[in-house]
Amino acid sequence: MSWETDVIDGLRDANIDLVTQLPDGAMDAVVEGLDEAGVRTLRVEREESAIAAASGIWVTGNRGAVICQSSGLANTLNAIGSLSVPARLPFLALVTRRGDLGEFNVAQVPAGYGLPAMMDEMGVRNTVVSEPESIRQTVRMAAETAFSTRTPYVVFFDTTVTGYGQEAQ
Amino acid sequence: MVADQFACTAAVLEETPDAVVVSNLGVASYVLAEVQDRERNFYLWGSMGSTTATGIGVALGTDEQVTVLAGDGSLTMSLGVCSTVATAAPPNLTVVCFDNGIYGTTGGQPTPSIDFAAAAEAQGLPATSVADDAAFAEAYADAVARDGPSLIECMVEPSDPEARPTFDFPHIPRRVRDSLAE
Repeated sequence: MSWETDVIDGLRDANIDLVTQLPDGAMDAVVEGLDEAGVRTLRVEREESAIAAASGIWVTGNRGAVICQSSGLANTLNAIGSLSVPARLPFLALVTRRGDLGEFNVAQVPAGYGLPAMMDEMGVRNTVVSEPESIRQTVRMAAETAFSTRTPYVVFFDTTVTGYGQEAQ
Repeated sequence: MVADQFACTAAVLEETPDAVVVSNLGVASYVLAEVQDRERNFYLWGSMGSTTATGIGVALGTDEQVTVLAGDGSLTMSLGVCSTVATAAPPNLTVVCFDNGIYGTTGGQPTPSIDFAAAAEAQGLPATSVADDAAFAEAYADAVARDGPSLIECMVEPSDPEARPTFDFPHIPRRVRDSLAE
């Protein structure tokens, strides 16, 4: 059982209807698996649009999730801060985190390392997953937390989960 | 000759009375509220540049007509969103860009001069440009009737709405959601 399968199963357990995303090599298998499972995915032009679209589908009675890299989540602060949080539009974000363990690219460090604290400052609850065990349950519980309380929830996946050193080689 | 944003907004509600209307922060939302406050008005109160993407999310979740009332400043901020509309191709989504040539809520500074219809077309999103009330009403009816999304650029005079309601922001999307669930 791969971690990607656990993510897909967690999203399906949580009855996610739409996954908005920008391409990310680490998440390719997840997006492909969602397409095969019949979960609708939407590729956007910018991560801020992923947040807005996932927020927007909530008013139709559906559940949206966002998949992006940590550098992409840094693009979304205005959408989260001035739409999702104050309008109480929930979504689940699954973010592949760079900038900490195993990071070789200094350009990934300030945002990637700092994002959990930045989310805390904005009042967005979040958790960093460093071990592949319990991913399925974590994804499902994070989604339930978001939609039950009408606030976003962000799950970061560390490189210890998504694979270390692939880009450096 | 240019169109009147109040008249064109009224034309939207007349043509599609059941539509979810997602309006950009500032002038677009103030004008919509003044023309008619209704349950399916999804006023944004921030998040400049994200109005159209919010509309995509709504359109993907409902079969009802969804109309975005964007502003030229906001659409400039996220012009690439037209490619997302074109790719997702929700048949029930129409994007209206009211182009008044200024940043209307920050003091009236000039916006960049952009041919939004050409920019949308270049990204695969069918588009048209209109500059009077009658042409807008006709273009909007055509847009709603077609099987696919499209964009209408509507040249308007800058307007100064009297109504500047303080929206209860969490209540607004909840009201839309309840209305769609009925």
